[in-house]
Amino acid sequence: MAEEARELAQRRVSRRRFMIMGINVAGAGTALLIAAPIVGSVLSPVFAKRKTPWVMVADVSRVPIGVPTAYVVNLPINEGWSVPPVPRTVYVVKLNLNGSVEMLTLSNVCTHMQCDVHWDIGLQEFLCPCHGGLYSIDGTNIGGPPPWPLFRYEHKLVDSTLYVRNVLYEP
Amino acid sequence: MKEASTAPQRSRLAATLTRPVAGLLATTYRWVDERLGVSDLTHQLLYEAVPRRGAWAYSLGSATLIIIVLQIVTGMFLLWTYVPSTTEAWESLNYIEHHDEFAAIVRGMHLWGAYVLFVVIGLHMIRTFVSGSYKKPRELNWIVGVVLFLLVLGLGITGAMLPWDQAAYWTATVVTHVVDYIPFLGNWVQEILRGGPQMGPETLTRFFAIHIWLLPALLVPLIGLHLVLLRRHGEHGSWVNYEGVEVESEQHRAERMAHAESPYPALPSDPGYAVPVDLDQFFPSQVFKDAVLSFGLVILIFVMAVVVGAPLERAANPAALNYVPTPEWFFLPLDQILVQFPQAWMIPVGVFVIPGIGTTLLMLVPFLDRTPDREPWRRPEVMAPALFAVLFLIFEALLAVNRLFNL
Repeated sequence: MAEEARELAQRRVSRRRFMIMGINVAGAGTALLIAAPIVGSVLSPVFAKRKTPWVMVADVSRVPIGVPTAYVVNLPINEGWSVPPVPRTVYVVKLNLNGSVEMLTLSNVCTHMQCDVHWDIGLQEFLCPCHGGLYSIDGTNIGGPPPWPLFRYEHKLVDSTLYVRNVLYEP
Repeated sequence: MKEASTAPQRSRLAATLTRPVAGLLATTYRWVDERLGVSDLTHQLLYEAVPRRGAWAYSLGSATLIIIVLQIVTGMFLLWTYVPSTTEAWESLNYIEHHDEFAAIVRGMHLWGAYVLFVVIGLHMIRTFVSGSYKKPRELNWIVGVVLFLLVLGLGITGAMLPWDQAAYWTATVVTHVVDYIPFLGNWVQEILRGGPQMGPETLTRFFAIHIWLLPALLVPLIGLHLVLLRRHGEHGSWVNYEGVEVESEQHRAERMAHAESPYPALPSDPGYAVPVDLDQFFPSQVFKDAVLSFGLVILIFVMAVVVGAPLERAANPAALNYVPTPEWFFLPLDQILVQFPQAWMIPVGVFVIPGIGTTLLMLVPFLDRTPDREPWRRPEVMAPALFAVLFLIFEALLAVNRLFNL
């Protein structure tokens, strides 16, 4: 009789524990099912594949040597849904290096906090208005907080027409 | 005769107007009150003991609350027009500014409400700090308050991005690029926040969602916790309410504790500081001061909204070469730190390590300042560093102003 009662008591405890486990499993499962798609959607930009088509800039045969020349390019944004292309500035710089002319296609995005730099005629340097970053004519960071030189757009010349695409590389 | 004099006094006009339905009103109120407990709740909320002296300084917390409510309400009605889209956000606000005078005032109140909120929440923190109100047993409420302050900063900076004019665009660019300097994970975090490597349509929708849902959903319950903890331990007030407690006799102190009015002392506190020496009723004396200060601030916000309004610069243009971005004034010190910490490895020190250490120290204040003293001049070991920190932030802001307007 006493043994039966004890067994019963044990069974009651295990029934209680079973329900507590059930509550925990159901709670964790509910949280997991809600969280999984949310985490996936939050992380999706990291894994998204992006197309970077070539965009025509201009005929650059008349760009003078030693004078950075700004061109506004409508680069398609390859994130989210289709919106009008965003205008960005490409600085075309021709430099005379030991007799051969080299052409650079500099992004005007400051490598510090990504503000727009511009060619300052008085300074003869690229200047960033946000935090005073300075770059030389070939984009080398020479003053202020920028940690890297100006990035360059991938480019190609078809005859004398310049094409760039939205792929940046460090020189 | 006696009964008449103790009955609630109503204005004669109200009595005359409600006479035909007075019985019905009373019955209805009783019916509702039986089911909701309105009278009990009102009594609990209004009839609490508060410190008598220095009460104007204690109005800053309720002013903060009132302005946050103002922000929530004006924000709700900005949503009647605002479109969170990179192609239409600026258009919708430009429409408000030129074709909807009242909505423009609502927008102005939302902006100036935010500006006043930063000032008032800062003064509220300084008041709490100077009076040592974070001491035992109110340590956790100080920490909740610091978190609330950080959430308000987050609301300010995300709100500044939403107009998608030039100022908003470059604020968003810099803020979402700062995270790129997080070691190892920075690039990922930036892409998650922007919806891609560059600023795009998803950048705005993300910060819109963070501004109107994510941060308020954290803010509102934490304000509730802040108030529950305030009521649990009672308003501490400042040292002027505890004059003489160090020299009072044991017997006198015990007597004072025994006669303490609710909510004092909910929990044992430092000897003598459990109950203010001189108490007052929250309603009406404290509520009156709260109401006057809040009303004054709302008048200020309204006048600034009508007279100055909220600016809207040109629509975001990533290719503009002659635009000088300037941060919102409450982020000037941080912007100056960006200048002072150049080059790759220094930047994370400036944007994460130093503000991180500052915030951690701010949260740990109750555990660093453990003496029973409440008077600021008897706590120089915390007052001096705090004064230095405030002066440092002002100095950094002035440096930033000088730099940005002399370019």
